[in-house]
Amino acid sequence: MQNDLTLVGNCALDHDGCVVCSDAGIPVRVVSIRGDDAVCEDSAGHRTEIAVELVAPVKAGEILLTHGGVAIGKALDAEKLAAGS
Amino acid sequence: MKYVDEFRNADLARAVSAEIAGLVDPNRHYKIMEVCGGHTHTIYRHGIKDLLPDQVELVHGPGCPVCVLPMGRVDEGIAIAERPEVIFTCFGDMMRVPGSRGNLLEVKAEGADIRMVYSPLDALRIARENPDREVVFYAIGFETTAPSTALTLRRAKKEGIENFSVFCNHVTIVPPVRALLDSPDLRLDAFIGPGHVSTVIGCRPYEFMPADYGKPCVVAGFEPLDLMQSVLMLIRQLDEGRCEVENQYGRAVLWEGNLKALEAMSEVFELRPYFEWRGLGFIAQSALKLSADYADLDAELRYSTPGVRVADPKACQCGEVLKGVLKPPECKVFGTACTPERPLGALMVSSEGACAAYYNFGRKSFEKVEIGSR
Repeated sequence: MQNDLTLVGNCALDHDGCVVCSDAGIPVRVVSIRGDDAVCEDSAGHRTEIAVELVAPVKAGEILLTHGGVAIGKALDAEKLAAGS
Repeated sequence: MKYVDEFRNADLARAVSAEIAGLVDPNRHYKIMEVCGGHTHTIYRHGIKDLLPDQVELVHGPGCPVCVLPMGRVDEGIAIAERPEVIFTCFGDMMRVPGSRGNLLEVKAEGADIRMVYSPLDALRIARENPDREVVFYAIGFETTAPSTALTLRRAKKEGIENFSVFCNHVTIVPPVRALLDSPDLRLDAFIGPGHVSTVIGCRPYEFMPADYGKPCVVAGFEPLDLMQSVLMLIRQLDEGRCEVENQYGRAVLWEGNLKALEAMSEVFELRPYFEWRGLGFIAQSALKLSADYADLDAELRYSTPGVRVADPKACQCGEVLKGVLKPPECKVFGTACTPERPLGALMVSSEGACAAYYNFGRKSFEKVEIGSR
């Protein structure tokens, strides 16, 4: 299940490159939602709070792409991707 | 392909490599620019250059926002950071970009309160926790990063946080690409489009490449096979005489982009009439400033920054490298006066800068160019 995150890329929250220059979008899974923020977990199990209002509405279990603490996109889910691949 | 292992599968990479080699016209030279610094990093980290036939040349583009920032903007940030009432916040790589009088790390060592943050929202939190100080966030980045600044400014305004401001250096991707296409120095055949910028802006903004310039573009992901497949898609287009925008990174990029993020950006920012790019000069409507509604949170207005211009060091050839005219090891100071430990030019600072990527991962290529060119 956790591997589904790597559908989008192999980048985790401890990404050591330049946040802006690497055009980094880190795939994370929504664990729980608190208003405009959500606790999210990356493929290594690291958890952090992410602002999700730019991709709202979100629900637990969805995979988001985050950049600089803000979700900027949603990934296609595994079933849709598998169906399309 | 479903999982990341498959995006790094050696057998698949060899198969794609062979398919590219079989498709290329042996009498033709294919010059493909990867616009994004993240792609440059992947290309050298994974040795993709060595998997491509000699006819395919990858040219590194201007997609590293730290690298394209002119020295004058660094100096202005430092001038704000040196004010005693200010807590200055920025992303990590920004700390090492050389200004004319040193970098932010050195100014921090001299006593300025400069803090590295992972998100502009962290800077806003610092402002909440320090109501008696002025907190300034040094905003930098393309359209991938601009939404996080926009969202932070929206929250600051909503919460009425007055001791927070943003020194805005956000840039946009299309104008510099257009400037490169207009440049007589460089003849390119096709473009690899930036993946996560496109998560925000979508694929439509690249339609000018085929429509106005007859150049195909493939928006690509960041795994090695993403890039290999994108090169294959571009070679196919060129060989079949097609010229269009294609989306290789469909698992994260929608054609229309993220409309909510674009709406936040258009509320908070407006285009500057022009902005200076290192190596590319002034480009019209290529950067963002805070809109009139957010002027009270604009550090440029709050601290009346003078807008100084500072020339790059004479030995530095970042401009030629940024335009793809020179390869990094062809620069006079590459690996000698300019190293990642002591960068002279910005391209050596960020690990995604073309020079740092070459220095860290491209030594084999470096040696080849050294022997051939000197």
